[in-house]
Amino acid sequence: MKSYTIKKDKVSDFISHLIKKNIVWGPVKQDDTIIYKQINTPQEITLDFLKVKIPPKTIVFPQTETLVRFHKEKDVTTETPSPEKKDAIIFGVRPCDAKSFLLFDAVFKGDCEDPFYCSKRATTILIGLTCINPPMNCFCSSVGGNPDDPSGLDILLTDMTDSYYMEIITERGEHLLKDFIGRTEATQQDTKKRDTICTQAKKSIKRQVSVERIDSILDAIFDSPYWETIAQRCIGCGICTFLCPTCHCFDIQDESSQNKGARVRIWDSCMFSEYSCHASGYNPRATQMNRVRNRIYHKFNYLLKNNQVLGCVGCGRCIDECPVHIDIVEIIKNARGVKQ
Amino acid sequence: MTERFEPSILAFLCNWCSYAGADLAGTSRMQYPTNVKIIRVMCSGRVNPSFVLNAMQSGIDGVIIGGCHPGECHYNQGNYLTRRRITLLKLLLEYVGIDPRRVQMTWVSASEGGKFAEVMKKVTEEIRKLGPIQQIKRSNEW
Amino acid sequence: MVEISQIQAEARKIFDTYDVQYILGYSNESFGIQPVPFFAKKKPDVNHLIFSPFCVNNLTMYLKNYEGNEKIGIVVKGCDSRSLIQLIIEKRIPRENLVIIGISCGGVIDQKKFQTKFPDVIGSVDVVEKDDLFIFTIAGKKHQVSKKEVLLEKCIHCEYPTPLLYDVLLGEKKQPFKSESYSDVKQIEAKSLQEKWNFWEKQFSRCIRCYACRNICPVCFCKECSAEQLNPQWLRRSVTISENTVWHLTRALHVAGRCTGCGECERVCPMSIPLMLLNKKMLKEVKDLFEYTPGISVDAKPLLAAYKPDDPEDCII
Repeated sequence: MKSYTIKKDKVSDFISHLIKKNIVWGPVKQDDTIIYKQINTPQEITLDFLKVKIPPKTIVFPQTETLVRFHKEKDVTTETPSPEKKDAIIFGVRPCDAKSFLLFDAVFKGDCEDPFYCSKRATTILIGLTCINPPMNCFCSSVGGNPDDPSGLDILLTDMTDSYYMEIITERGEHLLKDFIGRTEATQQDTKKRDTICTQAKKSIKRQVSVERIDSILDAIFDSPYWETIAQRCIGCGICTFLCPTCHCFDIQDESSQNKGARVRIWDSCMFSEYSCHASGYNPRATQMNRVRNRIYHKFNYLLKNNQVLGCVGCGRCIDECPVHIDIVEIIKNARGVKQ
Repeated sequence: MTERFEPSILAFLCNWCSYAGADLAGTSRMQYPTNVKIIRVMCSGRVNPSFVLNAMQSGIDGVIIGGCHPGECHYNQGNYLTRRRITLLKLLLEYVGIDPRRVQMTWVSASEGGKFAEVMKKVTEEIRKLGPIQQIKRSNEW
Repeated sequence: MVEISQIQAEARKIFDTYDVQYILGYSNESFGIQPVPFFAKKKPDVNHLIFSPFCVNNLTMYLKNYEGNEKIGIVVKGCDSRSLIQLIIEKRIPRENLVIIGISCGGVIDQKKFQTKFPDVIGSVDVVEKDDLFIFTIAGKKHQVSKKEVLLEKCIHCEYPTPLLYDVLLGEKKQPFKSESYSDVKQIEAKSLQEKWNFWEKQFSRCIRCYACRNICPVCFCKECSAEQLNPQWLRRSVTISENTVWHLTRALHVAGRCTGCGECERVCPMSIPLMLLNKKMLKEVKDLFEYTPGISVDAKPLLAAYKPDDPEDCII
């Protein structure tokens, strides 16, 4: 597919062009935090960021989502929320976060399709932003990714100081450029410059960990006391799961008031003690060790076996934000040396 | 003609004093606004701040907690503990921007039927002026 | 400043003298500048123990679910010792089962502020305290930084740098950095009711209900938190402004009079919600109205389980 360059002062024109016919989500600075918000003007966006705090999974898999509304007059009537008619463009998606969409597809579009996710996913278009300056805890290159990995993206932008290199990856991406003239076709020189930037970016990733045969390594050490040492300082909050681009567990609850209500889906976390608690009161994962071990295995063993996809994209958010500094790279690295 | 705003008010009344006081107001045919709905608790000390917050979430515009006069609590010190708790609750509500006058506490003894009716009237009018609760009310739209 | 050899020597002494289940301290991990909570379970583990101004975690939170009769050793800074006292007041752990290494603390470093000043630093950073300066050695180069620039906000107003409870004290007894004036709380108090709500609505709408604030808090230890209860369900799990506000108000009220202001909740919040503004408001009111400061004396009664006949009655009609 074609590649273009777009001068930096034309980017807001491009975003305005996108806003005309679509819903556009972009990284917005809220005090010190950067989160994706729906925008109405290009000025609301900032592209001067390293990581968006809450990953873009929240757009196709909202933290609170209505599945069905019910109402009782004489009889009970139900209503499913109607799908969005406009396309939703997420502007400024890091390649690691884009890769997580592929995992969500594997889980929610597998044998049994989740209609809520699928209808949102079908109308979502991703415009990516290469990580030219990977932050300290990133390790995408260790888990099959790259600072300029196009997987899951429709367009990929690379910052080349005065302009952006714009790589069209899918037809949907190409279609977005229709009627937008503020771009020029990329020259060979442009492409060379882009390649140099991306190679340098990959070289500057500070953390490496091998995931070769990680599933069989983990198979062999399931009962090891290693997991107790890893988990002993975990406080069982939901930070790692909620900020993880690939985590997708949820709970469904009915909320009602007088004669109306809804069935609502909300994010859940396997780190919460009540996550696996049975109605009888029995909890099959009663200790934090069980829960932490389960999370690691889900990402590096079960998802590999069941869905043929690694459950981690190397974004490093869990390492950044963990209140007790639990480090998943160190966990996987050291797992290799654990006595079997 | 616009309808007058009728606040919905919840009163937690302790069984031994304020509830009996309310009962006396009733039997003596002393009128008090129908806006006030009563929940009987054994002691005002039973009232958890979560009751008040949950009530506001359900759209209740004002909450009254009725207890025994200091020194007269059937359980010795329940009302003293409530006094500390509700003081902190009101200060916190104000700090967050929710009008603290939506939560009122009163001492009403079993013989004070008149006082009970007066307090209910007074609080109803105060809450009417404050208007419907907005900040933490659940939208119940999905 | 406390030397690593001092901490390790005391820890070894504890293993020799008492039959402790483990000693809770800090150690360095192989990556990153941030020391981590560490459970030294046997004497050789002591070699991993360190202490530095990077040791921010309040280790007393690991004692909040204490059960049984085992002795436990713990390293506490001034603020941590107050949480420990509060746990003893509430009978979570008997004083006799604790062996406390107190550290006279000169302030701990805010990881975010440090990373803004020195981005992308890997591996443990050497730091020396000199009056009101930190001298960092990063990649062989020395950097002098005023403490105020990198300290956690709570340290700048610390009134108890020396632990109030300990079996052995490391470091010289210290004077408070500056006294707590609650100026940030007063700033909010000065706003109008509508301005207050505008401020807090913005803050609470960022909450993702991860409950890190609750889980890291040394005094949040209910076996079933009211937020988790399903029957009755106080809080819906939906993330809306109504539920988020009630969550934060509920927690502030449930820790009122028990929170010692250790600031961990604000440190761990991934959405940077200024939780200490809520807890400090309660600390200020509790001090002004009831002349009570949590976590000072092990013989104190819990604030909301006690009363004075002449407690303020302004709120009563």
